[in-house]
Amino acid sequence: MKTRAEAERLAIDTGILVNLGFYVSISIIFAILALGFNLQWGYTGLFNAGIAGFFLIGAYTAAIAITPPTPPSTGYPGHLGGFQLPLAVGALLAMAMSGLAAALVALPTVRLRADYLAIATLAFAEVVRTVALNLEPVTAGTIGIVGIPHILTFSGPDAAFLNAATDVGVGAAILAGLFLGLHFILESPWGRVLRAVREDEEATMAVGKNTFRYKLQVFAIGGALMGLAGWLFALTLLYIEPSGSFAPAITFSVWVMVIVGGAGNLRGAIAGAFVIYGLEWLSVQLKDVAPDFLKDSIPYIRLMIVGALLIILIIYRPQGILREKKRVLR
Amino acid sequence: MAIPSESDSSTGTRVPHRLWELLHFTPRARRKLVRGALVTIIFLAFNGVLAVLFGVTILNYTIAGLSVSSIVIVAAIGLTLVYGMRGFANFAYGDIMSLGAYVALLVNINGLSLIWGAILSFAVLALVGILLELIVFSRLEGRGAVPPIVASVGVGLIIQNGIRTIATTTPWIYRVEAIQEIPIVPGLGVHPIRHILTPAVGLLFVLVTHILLTYTNLGKAMRATADNFELAKATGIDTKRVTYATWAVSCAFASTAGILLGLYGLLKPTMGFEVLLLIFAAVIVGGIGSPWGAVLGGLVIGLSQEMSAPVFAWLAGPDVIGLVNASAYKVAIPFIVMIAVLILRPWGIAGRAPAFTGRVFFIEKIAKALGRRPKPTGPLEDESGG
Repeated sequence: MKTRAEAERLAIDTGILVNLGFYVSISIIFAILALGFNLQWGYTGLFNAGIAGFFLIGAYTAAIAITPPTPPSTGYPGHLGGFQLPLAVGALLAMAMSGLAAALVALPTVRLRADYLAIATLAFAEVVRTVALNLEPVTAGTIGIVGIPHILTFSGPDAAFLNAATDVGVGAAILAGLFLGLHFILESPWGRVLRAVREDEEATMAVGKNTFRYKLQVFAIGGALMGLAGWLFALTLLYIEPSGSFAPAITFSVWVMVIVGGAGNLRGAIAGAFVIYGLEWLSVQLKDVAPDFLKDSIPYIRLMIVGALLIILIIYRPQGILREKKRVLR
Repeated sequence: MAIPSESDSSTGTRVPHRLWELLHFTPRARRKLVRGALVTIIFLAFNGVLAVLFGVTILNYTIAGLSVSSIVIVAAIGLTLVYGMRGFANFAYGDIMSLGAYVALLVNINGLSLIWGAILSFAVLALVGILLELIVFSRLEGRGAVPPIVASVGVGLIIQNGIRTIATTTPWIYRVEAIQEIPIVPGLGVHPIRHILTPAVGLLFVLVTHILLTYTNLGKAMRATADNFELAKATGIDTKRVTYATWAVSCAFASTAGILLGLYGLLKPTMGFEVLLLIFAAVIVGGIGSPWGAVLGGLVIGLSQEMSAPVFAWLAGPDVIGLVNASAYKVAIPFIVMIAVLILRPWGIAGRAPAFTGRVFFIEKIAKALGRRPKPTGPLEDESGG
């Protein structure tokens, strides 16, 4: 009797832990997206409105590369894939594809004013999503890609918990690595040029820097980071479809995260991701306790709050909660 | 003796001269008119060839393209006015269109006709535009292009999700009598609302814009402010009032474009956001800030999108490449046209190149990378020859 009750309590506990683990791992994915966007906008001043598009390319590339073959069955059209490549190869492919796409979009627009880049990237993301929705032989259309393997395969009653723990662990390791790596390269002379481009592009050109090349590099690297986030997303969710997970709202959420945390600040971007995704996660948890008339409109109210946050923060606190460290010439 | 004859001659030449002036036929305008006529003739001839080659039904796509263009033109004029004046892309514009459509719906389902809905929505949205500038965008003046873009996305999210909360996500439809298509020849027909009313409204708005911007003081002040804010201020134009007026006009145009869009299909919370890309493409193709360019860009974008549909339908054939859901890909066409314009003429097809612009910077760069040097130009040879 006692052991059974204990087992039940334990089961509930791991349930909560799995849920929390899901929150942490999705937050980590958003943090990687925010780091990519922060590199582009916060450090270099390149405003990307198509984060969701690069995220989608990474997720689909990874899913196609690493998924074992799924035979088409009734109601499932099947998709390109069955290559069963190692996970690391999937990550590299995802980063390469997203980075390449980012470079291609940036090539004609990065030399123009910031608003052209924003429009072109937003348009790009929508076109990519339309293609993912309709190119059924490759992406399985609206149904999406299913059967993406876990990072490690577990069995037994604790499998869910162990899988969540692996997702969190791998995600945290990647995030820590990215944080250190970005910190290092942004303190290097290369990173200094980026901030110079953001502050005054013409002056940077005048001292002999090819700003076009720097901007292109940064946009491609940022895109590659978003592709990496897509890879992690595919491995965490095990299932990707184009309409919900890669909607423009993802892009706007990442903006809020970076603005809340403070543009030009790595720690801020990560903190912003955890806070803003925490809001979304809480709103999902609230669904069970909310009164009936509110139940269906909770996601919409959340997005309205995101919108209001964007407006209020950009007007009253554009430097975010954690400001960029002031740098003084020595 | 000399005086009356002089006055005679002046009255004799003056009236046509003034008429000439009224029509604004400067040499440049005349050149443009000739070019426009030429393009129109080529386009008509192209359609004639299509009709001969593929049968008359192919012209349905042209008709659809013209009515989509009309909606895009009305919206693009409104968007480009604010874009030119405030220097930022209003990402909320699509959602403002949806708001206009839903305001008209609210009037419409309460028993009034849609015409009243359109008029009321026009006024309400003008007010919304003024409020947006007052509450949000005037605080972001002089902060560059990105902060207002971020704020406009916030506005768009609030409007779109507000509509979702209040009007639910189920699609609505306007209460208008169902009207049958009028057949011209078998297989080719025009729908009175979609294919006659919509282009007529589009044309009306183009004319109204032209009159507003060319003949009224407000319009001239708007153009001056968009061209050079500081100079306009120094000349004594109340730039603040002009900015509010521009916002009012812009959002009012959005409401009409939204209603036309609602008449074309269904009313959904995302209806405006879905065509935002189309409108941006039209604005960029025409050159940012130029209403006449927006008209041209709207025509290019609308026609190219709709007339690409038969090409995709052909690609869907099992013996070609068997593309699934081929018709969905036509939304990529505006994007491709926009990128092409951004590569070749970032100032738009109607705009004038800014001074000191390299001819085609991007292509020259590629040529240089491939090792080709630009050839020495004509004048040098002439000098050596002489």
